[in-house]
Amino acid sequence: MIYFDNAATTKDKPQEVKDAFFYYISEIGVSPGRGSYGLGIEASRMLYQTREKVAMYFGLQEPNVVFTKNSTEAINLFFRGFLKKGDHVVISPYEHNAVLRPLQALREKNLIEYTVVSPEDLGLSGDAFANKYFNENTVLLAMTLASNLTGRIVFSKERCIVAKSKGVATFVDASQGAGKIRLDMLNDGIDYVAFTGHKDLRGLPGVGGLCSKEELKIEPLIQGGTGVHGHEKTNPAIYPDAYESGTMNMPAIWAFGQAVEYSEREHDRCLSIECELVNHLIEGLKNVPYVTIYDMDCDRVSTVGFNVRGYSSNEVVRILDKHGICVRGGMHCAILAHETLGTVNTGVVRVSFCENNTLEEIDELIAIIKTIGDKRCI
Amino acid sequence: MYIVFYSTSNVFKAESLLNKANIACNVVPTPATDKAYCGVCIEVENDVVLDILDSLEYELVMEGENKCANS
Repeated sequence: MIYFDNAATTKDKPQEVKDAFFYYISEIGVSPGRGSYGLGIEASRMLYQTREKVAMYFGLQEPNVVFTKNSTEAINLFFRGFLKKGDHVVISPYEHNAVLRPLQALREKNLIEYTVVSPEDLGLSGDAFANKYFNENTVLLAMTLASNLTGRIVFSKERCIVAKSKGVATFVDASQGAGKIRLDMLNDGIDYVAFTGHKDLRGLPGVGGLCSKEELKIEPLIQGGTGVHGHEKTNPAIYPDAYESGTMNMPAIWAFGQAVEYSEREHDRCLSIECELVNHLIEGLKNVPYVTIYDMDCDRVSTVGFNVRGYSSNEVVRILDKHGICVRGGMHCAILAHETLGTVNTGVVRVSFCENNTLEEIDELIAIIKTIGDKRCI
Repeated sequence: MYIVFYSTSNVFKAESLLNKANIACNVVPTPATDKAYCGVCIEVENDVVLDILDSLEYELVMEGENKCANS
């Protein structure tokens, strides 16, 4: 079986991630912040150590990390708490539905407005961009680090720094690319980052979070048990506890710390391998006359989106699956990106790599694409 | 002497800071009965450590006492 759907979930996890998970469930097994006995204290210590590790990975000096179950929850926590009536938000045309839908829901309640940047304007200078898209109500620039559909890198340090100079807060959805592109929040002009563990950071499903330059001072998304101030009838204004109500997925959080260490240590090696894989795929497909590669000339993470003329993306997915190759078709929860690319009706075939994929695997995919194209397109 | 905190995260931040400064400390159940504090705190021998914790919000509880002194 060949797995090319790493942008959805990395299937291969580093051994140290599996070991950390097993260690936690076998040797610790209790929840942090819920008991003042030795084992409970150790669980709380491990949670703090992971917070520190994740904060450092994203370039923070303070452990300002709230853990959630995924980036979608982190994004909802942030938008719901940060945005106020009358606010205006600027987003890219590549945003995942995890960003679009919370904003759209707030817009439909007449609470906020948002503007979607046109794709050609992603190349504007920071000042030109700000002049065109920011208005007196703009409080937030929210952009994905990379497109989950085409792999295109959308984040721009310059754009963020200019936004901040105009008094606009900056938010990066790092669900795609966090394990491949190093962000330095303090130096890159980023106020908030949402991340998820199970994609290219190589952690387990069920852990994500929200990093912030300063401790959050917004309304929590959910209310409930925090392990502290149990006598109060709403969540206490204690950071980060107020934002982590309920039992946390501590086995996955502890394993995530090891995943972050792996991603940091192996960054250059993985980047080198994945660049070669991406170039090999694009070289193999770009001259096939009935194949369209999207955002071919953009800087990208190790994700490529394409279509085969005469086929829907899901037909291609089915054919490849019969040959034991896992890729994803359809909408990818990214309607804005499909509207941008003009692929709402066909979807897009997405191939996304990890460092364990090989050139030979890609050759198998290319050979199949050439075969099916010959049958229907020529 | 006990250093008590409002946030569990700050307990372990304090422990990390003290460990880096090679100052012996233990994380133990909070002796104070005041509900404002989290369930665990830092136990240290004396108050020479407090400069290291300047960035944190905490209070002190002396051995055998239940009263807290503002830091």
